[in-house]
This record gives sequence, C-alpha cells and structure tokens, in this order.
Amino acid sequence: MSAIWRIAKATFHEALRRRFLNGILIFGILIIGSSWAFTYLQPGAELKMLIDIGLGAIRFFGMLIAIFVGVRLITDEVEKQTIHTLLAKPVTRAQFLLGKFFGGVATVFTNVALMGLAFVTVYMVKAPQLRELTSDQGPAISMEFMASNIIKAIGLTCFELLVLVAIAVVASTIFSWVMASIFSFFIYFVGQMADFLRELASPEHGADTASTIVFGILYRILPHFEIFDIRESILKDNFVPWSLLGNVTGQAIICVVIILMIGYLFFNEREV
Amino acid sequence: MRLGWTSKTIILTIVVALIVGSIPLRERIRYQRLVLGIKRPMPLTKIVDFDPTALSGVMIGAILGGFREVAATMMWAKVHTLWNQEGTWYDCLYVMRSTTLLDPHWIEPWRVTAWHMAYNIYAETDDARQRAILLDKAISALKEGISWNPEETDLFIELAWTYFDKLDDYEQAAKWFRATLHMPHPAHIDRIIAHGYERLPDIPKALDWYDYCLKRDPNDDIARGATLTIRERYLPAWRLLEEGDYDGALSLIDQYLEVNPFGTIALHMRAHILEEAGRLEEAFATWQQAADKFALDDLARRKVAELGTILGKDVAPTATHLLRQASPEQMSPGRVFKEEK
Amino acid sequence: MEGNPVGLIDLSMEVEEGQIFGLVGPNGSGKTTTLKLLLGLVFPTSGSGEIFGYPLGTLTYKQRIGFVPEGPYFYDHLNAVELLRFYGSLFGMGGAELDDRIEELLKLVGMWDRRERKVLNYSRGMLQRIGLAQGLINDPDLLLADEPTAGLDPIGAIQIREVLMRLRDEGKTIFLCSHLLKEMEPLCDTVAILNQGVVCHQGSMEELLTGEDGHYVAIFRDLDQAALQHLRVLAEQVDSKGEQYLAAFSDQQSATAAASDMIDKGAQLIEITPQRLTLEEVFIEAVGGIPE
Repeated sequence: MSAIWRIAKATFHEALRRRFLNGILIFGILIIGSSWAFTYLQPGAELKMLIDIGLGAIRFFGMLIAIFVGVRLITDEVEKQTIHTLLAKPVTRAQFLLGKFFGGVATVFTNVALMGLAFVTVYMVKAPQLRELTSDQGPAISMEFMASNIIKAIGLTCFELLVLVAIAVVASTIFSWVMASIFSFFIYFVGQMADFLRELASPEHGADTASTIVFGILYRILPHFEIFDIRESILKDNFVPWSLLGNVTGQAIICVVIILMIGYLFFNEREV
Repeated sequence: MRLGWTSKTIILTIVVALIVGSIPLRERIRYQRLVLGIKRPMPLTKIVDFDPTALSGVMIGAILGGFREVAATMMWAKVHTLWNQEGTWYDCLYVMRSTTLLDPHWIEPWRVTAWHMAYNIYAETDDARQRAILLDKAISALKEGISWNPEETDLFIELAWTYFDKLDDYEQAAKWFRATLHMPHPAHIDRIIAHGYERLPDIPKALDWYDYCLKRDPNDDIARGATLTIRERYLPAWRLLEEGDYDGALSLIDQYLEVNPFGTIALHMRAHILEEAGRLEEAFATWQQAADKFALDDLARRKVAELGTILGKDVAPTATHLLRQASPEQMSPGRVFKEEK
Repeated sequence: MEGNPVGLIDLSMEVEEGQIFGLVGPNGSGKTTTLKLLLGLVFPTSGSGEIFGYPLGTLTYKQRIGFVPEGPYFYDHLNAVELLRFYGSLFGMGGAELDDRIEELLKLVGMWDRRERKVLNYSRGMLQRIGLAQGLINDPDLLLADEPTAGLDPIGAIQIREVLMRLRDEGKTIFLCSHLLKEMEPLCDTVAILNQGVVCHQGSMEELLTGEDGHYVAIFRDLDQAALQHLRVLAEQVDSKGEQYLAAFSDQQSATAAASDMIDKGAQLIEITPQRLTLEEVFIEAVGGIPE
C-alpha cells in the first residue's frame, strides 16, 4: 500500500509540472472564466449557454488532460528508464501500475477541481443576472436545484475521467503513447454513443444476426460515457437523485477495476 | 514475477464476471435516466430518414463530446449569416440540420428549420412537388424535434400549426394540439382545435371543443360567440345532412350564403354537402369558388386538385394534395436537397 | 541502453559473494539485458536464475539488492535528498534512520554540498553519483551496476571505483557491467566476457590476464655478441629496448634455465616476470579479433 502511495505521490508531483498540461488547464479556465461573454450568442437562453460552455469546457479539457496524462504515465517511465530503478526496488508491477494510475487520477482531479472552481465562481456571479435578463420573456427560470446539480455534474465528470485515465494507462501498456491516445479517444467517442450501438444491435431496427452479435457485444463491454452527463437535469432543474449518482459511480468503479485488471495482465507480461 | 496460467485464468474470469454482473446495473442506470428525462434518445431510424448527412453529424457530436452544445451555438450563428445571402438556402438547411444534431435539446433550431422550409423556402418556389417535399421535411423535422424533447410545448404547437396552416390537415393539427393540453399551454390552443373542425367542416366536433373551452373557462367570450354562431348558422344544415336530406341542407346553406357570400365555412359546408351527396361536379365548382374568393384557402385549393383529378379535369396540382397522395417512399430522404442543387 | 537488446543465447554464470564481478562485452552484447533479467524486467524464454536463492523477479531478494542504471534519469523535479527519500521509502525506510543514511550516502558520492539542487539541473556526472547513492540506499548485499563510471571525469571515476572497492571490503557483492575495460581491470575480482549473447570467457581476473600457459619475459643487460646469439636460440623472441634485451619464453622453466645460462655468460638479469596481458587483449582474443 505504501509503495502505491509513494509512487502516486511522486507521479502527481511530477505531472503537475507538465507544461502542456498547465497550458490546457489555463486555456480551459480562460474559456470558463469568459463563458458569460459568449451568452449573447443565444438570446433568451443565456443561462443554458453559460452552463453548456462551463460544464462542456470542464468535460472537454478534462478529457484532453485525462488522456494525455494517462498515456504518458507509464510510457515516460519506460522511455526515460526510470521504471528500471523503480522496479529494482521492492515494488511489484501491480503496485507500480496502481501507483501511476492513482497519481494520474489525482492530477486529473486537481485540474477538474480548479476548472470547476472557476465555473462555480462564474455561475454564482452571473447566473442571477442572466435569470433577471430573461425574466420578462416568460416564467422565471427555476433554479432550485441548479447549484447542487452543477456540483454533482462536476463530480460525475471526475468519475468519467477516472474511467478514461484507466483506459489511457492500460492502452499505453499495450501500444505506443501515440497509438494509445488514438485508442483512448476512440473508446471515449464510441462510449459517448453507446445508445447508438444499442440501436444498431437491435433487431427491431432491422439489424441482422451478425450486427446484433457484434454491436451487442460492443454495447456490453464498452464503457458508457454518456451516463455521466446530467446537463439535461440541470437545465430543467430536476433534482438528480442520489441513487442515480450512486449507481453511476458504482458503474464507473466497476469499469475501472475491469480495465486495470486487463491492464495488469498485459503489463505483467511486458518487458520494459 | 510472471503470472502462471492459473492466475491469468482467475483474473480473466473475474473480468468476465464483472462485465456480465454489471449488466443489470447498466440497465438500471439506463432506466433511471429515461425516467428522469436525462436520457438522450437517439431516434436512429428517424435520423436516417430525414437526411443522409445526419450520421456524420452524430459522429461529430460525439467527437466534440462535452463541447457539442457550444459548437451548435456557433453553427447557429453561421445559419443566420448564410440565410441572409441570396441562393444559399439549401446550404443553410444542411447547417441547420447539423445544428439540430449537435444539440437536439435546443428548441429554436428545430422550430426555425421547419419554419424556413414550410414558409420561407416554400414561398420561393411555385413547383407543387417541391413544395410538398418541403412540407414533408418540415413535418419530419418537427416530429424528430419532439421525439428529442417530448416535454416542450412549443414544438407540439409548431407542428400542429404547420398541419393547420400549411397542410390544412385539421385532424392531425387537432391531434398534435391535443398533445399539449396536459402541459402548460396558451388558452387559444383549445379554440384553434375547435376552429379547425369548423373549417374542415366537422360541426359536431367543433361544438364539442367549444363546449370544452367554455367548461374550462366560462368567461371565454370568443368560444361562447362561436358556439352561438355555429348553432345558428351551420348546425341545422348539418343535422339535415346527417339525416340524408342533402337538398334541405343545401337550401339552408344557400340562404345564408345569399346574405353573406364571403362565408368561408358556409362555402366549405356547401361543398362538403355536395360531396356527400355524390354531386362531385358541383362540389368541385364550389371548392373552386372558395379557392378563387380566398387567396389563403389552401384547403379549397387542395380539394379542387383532389376532385379535379377524380373528375379527369386539367387542374394544377397542389403541394398538400401531392403530399396526401404520396407514400412515404416517394418522399425519399434528401430529395429536397438533391433536386434543387 | 546500447543498441537493441540482443537475445541472450547462453548465459551461465555464478557470482560468489564478497566479490566484484565484472561482465564485459562490446556494445549490444547483452550486458544490459542480463541486468534486466536479474531484475525481472525482462523474462528468460527458457532456463532460470536465482539471487540469494530466490527466483528472478521476486520481491524477497529486491529488499537486499541495489541497482545503478546506466545514464540514470530520475524524477527531475526532486532534489538529491528528496530523491533518496523517495527511493528509501520504497524499502519502508523513514525517519531519522533514513535521514542519516541519506547524509552518509550523499557524502560518500560527493553530493552533500549540492544536495539542494534539482535533478533537472544535474550534469551527467552528478546523475551518475546520485544513481550510485540511490542504489545503496537500502545498504544492499548485492549491488548491480550498469556502466557506473561512464560519463565521469577521471577523478570522479576514481572516486566511484574507490567506493565500490570499499563496499567489497565490507563484504558486499558487486555485479558490474561495462565496456570500459581499463576501468574494470583494476576493479574486478572475477570477469565474464559476453559476446553476442554468449559468455565466451569467464574466470578470475588474475587467471585471465596471466593465463595458465602464460608466457614469461626475462630482461637482461650487458650482453655480449655471443651471449646475445645464444639467447636468440633459447628464447622465442628477443627485442632490444635501449641497453636492455627482452626475451620471451613459452614457460617459466625455460625462462629460468636461460637466465642462469646468461648469468654464466656474464650478463646481468634484471627480472623474470610472467607476461601479463591486458584485459583488452584478452577481450579482443575472446571475441575473435577486431573485425576488418
């Protein structure tokens, strides 16, 4: 346990110093910070625009950070040969893999937290003004659950990225980091369209046996990334029940365990 | 240490067990999201039916991930620019379509896309077939928009109104208007339904709906007035029509028309009675009369085309007539774009 | 790593405790791969190995070994102390014990004065020194080192060599990989020569450089013409070097016999020594000469 913690800590400290990561973070915060300035693009739906841009930027830049951190975690160690020194110490490969993973996750979470903080600040300042602005066009927008839903959405984004980091790390134990990035992006995009796969696999929609099997299996084994998106509820101001959050986070954790176990199988066989 | 085959098999078994074991949880989440209305339905068949470029739109949306709504906004700004340039309307439709795919929960693009097709581009062409296709596309767009946003009154009203105003399909209009009644909706919706039946004409149904309006709001003076008018002017003729006394019904209507030759509903009733009586030549002449008198009476124009076809007359086809005749296959996806370009 | 790791074909070695064992070989001969095998970083396709009686790759022996990688690279945002603390913590070390050990090691490798400097700003030599220090953090019984003196200035190389010899004197076992033969010659007790994945020569340094049927050289002076003629008959080869004559003999017996003959003839014997080869010569012979 201690070895995992030490490696995670070192990974976290090293990753925080990555210039390109800081670049993405600063860019993300800039966009979030100026999101209220874009709201003029959707007259009458300023608040929707603010939330779309804010949460969209957190998810989008979070995804970039998660993938680029994830694929470099182990490949960097191998390329720079620091892994030799580490594995020469009493550290198992499983501990190493988990240490790198948790270090990467801590890095991504820190980045998301900073972007989230920026967005919550913008929201606190701007949302009441925007609500005022649209009040003459119809019934006042309900904002009873909005703030708590935004926090929940950011929390779910963290779990989404948790899965994504796992995918990126594991992909990088199998492929080069470039291939691993492409692979991770691909899985993320297909995972966004899990419902699409479900329809493709559905005989009711005219799928033949082959596509039912192929798409059905893909639908079952690929992570479903759209489950982390609750923006609909935010905009409609519906309460997002804790049971849903619990189920989604549970699903995310199961996904991560599966991915890391597969990763361990590959990494343990790998010559470094 | 390398793992032995036993350990590997155990790990793989756990992996498979976790995947299989988590299927109920996945379904549970899916169900919860559906119930809570967070689920984003993906009406795949509908998308393909509407526009073959749609698939790429879905892909781009997925690539943009969290940023798709923002991209949709940017694209919508582009629509406004394009729309103001001469001759780019059909290009514009592509961009609009992409916008609706990128952010299907944004109501405005659905509404404006349909409105552009059913009204603006519609007015630019005289070709009935082209118009029919445009109307069909507009209806599809609104229906798809509703399938993404089943809780948005605006889209139902827009669709119903398009049926009412552009297709003269008062049955369909009533159906879609009725769908808004359990949601917050403007009071005039109930009266529009009644008025649609009036124009069709289906006098008993019109009366039923005006009665409904009055029960809901006893102070609805418009509904009260309409009820009185209908009972006085049209109901007696309708009763005779129901009894099969066509001549009696006709003479009542003609009496009214002598006093008020511009009574649209009276003319429609006259034509309807003649149709029921099987006197198609006279019915055709009456519809023709209505079409000549009222520039906006598309129902009359459609009836002229319909009856004219039956009677073997040389009549110009109308969009709505063609639309009613066409099977869905004839309104093939993308035709509107291909033919015009 | 030098070139592509070669497939090791035949690698049978035994390293005795309390020795400095040198594994030498040309670039790409498989030295680094051998070390990786010992550390469990790569896996043998067949055969097995043990360290302290434990199979390769197990954690048990890793508690007792140290590894100095070639051209080491470390987390470069750390300074020397933080780096050693990180590696020490992986052995479960901590507190004052670790602090003392860090100070001791940094002084040993001559980095104590520069302990605050971040790894990012290290020279190659400093990396090599800190690399040695981290390899020793757990006071290992066996130290595996890959080219430990590469990239160091002469003084630095001597310092590292002294550290390694001191460790040997303390009873530690050291396994060195290098292609720097001149560095290895004075350092190693036992040497194995690795060529194209095969150990083609192995033995104590002494045996290797003298050879069992080694040649002997006798050095004379004050030889007259007759004596010189006679010497040329007895010896395999005679060279002159100033006033001295160097005669080579195939064995010790003929050398001493010839020497007493020469003394009888009034020549002066300066010395008889076994002819020492350099490790370089042994190496070149072992790997089959210098390719054309």
